[in-house]
Amino acid sequence: MKCEVCLELLEEYLDGETPSHEQAQVAEHLIACGDCSESCAALAEEQALFARYDRELEVPPFLWTRVAAHTVSENNRPRRGWASVFARPLARVIAIVLLAIAVGVVYLLSRQPTPKPTIAQENNPPIPRDGTDRAQQRDQRAGTSQEDPKPKLVAAQPKSRPRIRPNNKITPADQSDVLSSDLAYLDMDEQDTAKHIEQSQNLLRSIRNVPTPDGDDEIDVSYDKALSRRLLNENVVLRRDAEMKAKFPTKTLLTDLEPFLIDIANLPDRAKAEDVRAIKERVQKTEIVAALIDYQDRGTNNR
Amino acid sequence: MKPLTVAFAGTLMNSSADLVSRVCQGDSDAFRLIFERYSRPVISFVYDMVNDRALAEELTQETFVRAFRSMHTMRAETKLSTWLFGIARNVARESLRARARANNHVDLGDKSVMDLSDDKPVPVEGLLSKELNELIRRSLAALDDDKRLVFTLKVLHQCSYEEIQMITGFSLAKLKTDLHRARAEMRKRIGAYAGVGYEV
Repeated sequence: MKCEVCLELLEEYLDGETPSHEQAQVAEHLIACGDCSESCAALAEEQALFARYDRELEVPPFLWTRVAAHTVSENNRPRRGWASVFARPLARVIAIVLLAIAVGVVYLLSRQPTPKPTIAQENNPPIPRDGTDRAQQRDQRAGTSQEDPKPKLVAAQPKSRPRIRPNNKITPADQSDVLSSDLAYLDMDEQDTAKHIEQSQNLLRSIRNVPTPDGDDEIDVSYDKALSRRLLNENVVLRRDAEMKAKFPTKTLLTDLEPFLIDIANLPDRAKAEDVRAIKERVQKTEIVAALIDYQDRGTNNR
Repeated sequence: MKPLTVAFAGTLMNSSADLVSRVCQGDSDAFRLIFERYSRPVISFVYDMVNDRALAEELTQETFVRAFRSMHTMRAETKLSTWLFGIARNVARESLRARARANNHVDLGDKSVMDLSDDKPVPVEGLLSKELNELIRRSLAALDDDKRLVFTLKVLHQCSYEEIQMITGFSLAKLKTDLHRARAEMRKRIGAYAGVGYEV
């Protein structure tokens, strides 16, 4: 190869964009030619200089806030499913008309005269909806509440129920005093478990798919670790709950899941590749992900 | 709002393809991770193109907003960084077009640029001085749009020729020509600093 040709190819050669046959020729020439070799070194030095160019530029913290305001904030979420249907003007008009009809029907129904209370009803007034204790109501009907020198302390009822109820006092066997809303909360337990299983499954799949390079490389697992810690706390509560309600398949699954969550939660933020690989292999061997998927597929009726 | 650097610090467990898929399913955390991962290269690239910090921030914001809105159109085989750089390039180009060329470009013969360089050799230790960074910045601004674009992508962001073609839409021949000329112009300005005196 002549020097002119070599110098012409030098930039591409350093860019790693030379076809393989020419690459070999350039490399061969550079070994033999001192001038071209010097030019190559100078060009490499120049590239290194540019690569270290410091713009002294940081991403300002407020930038995400601004971007989020135009993207992932509630009002700007991409519309999907029914939301996208209602985004269309015609559908929006139809929805408004239907809503107006529904409101009208409810209004008309509410204006219908209510039947006069019967004697029985007068003797048994409706239960007040002010959160008064039932025993207290019985006392009031019996005329004893005014005479009671020690008023009972009634614990304030929470307005919203926590997502996970560690001390669930309602058992399926005894539902005589269960309000309809409590039954709904039983379903919520199932939903909590299902959501927990789904999130755990995503976490384990993420672990299973993480590339683990050979050697002592470190992998940033801070996000997965934080997620695992949260899931671990949930898992303990849900497992105990399942045990109390004799939901043994759920309990077994959550028991099997727990060691994985513990292991991930105990990883350092930048974990050694071999540690991540060990967890990854266990996930693959035990087929825990398949068990979680199976649980989800079976649905709540079979549990 | 969670701090930027804590829970959402980039993690290798979330591949770009996974993140894009999750964003399309409405996962805002995934979009934040994408922002965390790519905001710095994008703002650097935009800054290289427009040479104005405040404008670079504004255009980076616009880039990510556009990316979010059109993420569902991104093809599976496309590399996320390439796709984002493509959007950033369009955003920057629109901005540059909107600005008066005379106000934004340093003239190729701008004496102030040339004054920063002289023929005296400079010790290697001093190469990354503020002065040199400033010289590179102003020399970049002196390149014409196409040359600055390919030079920035190749030399400052280490994109491959194929990626640059995807971002810019340039032919390989134009890309190589512009890159070669851009290097020559940059070399002319910083040659004395880098100790590069050869002609390629």
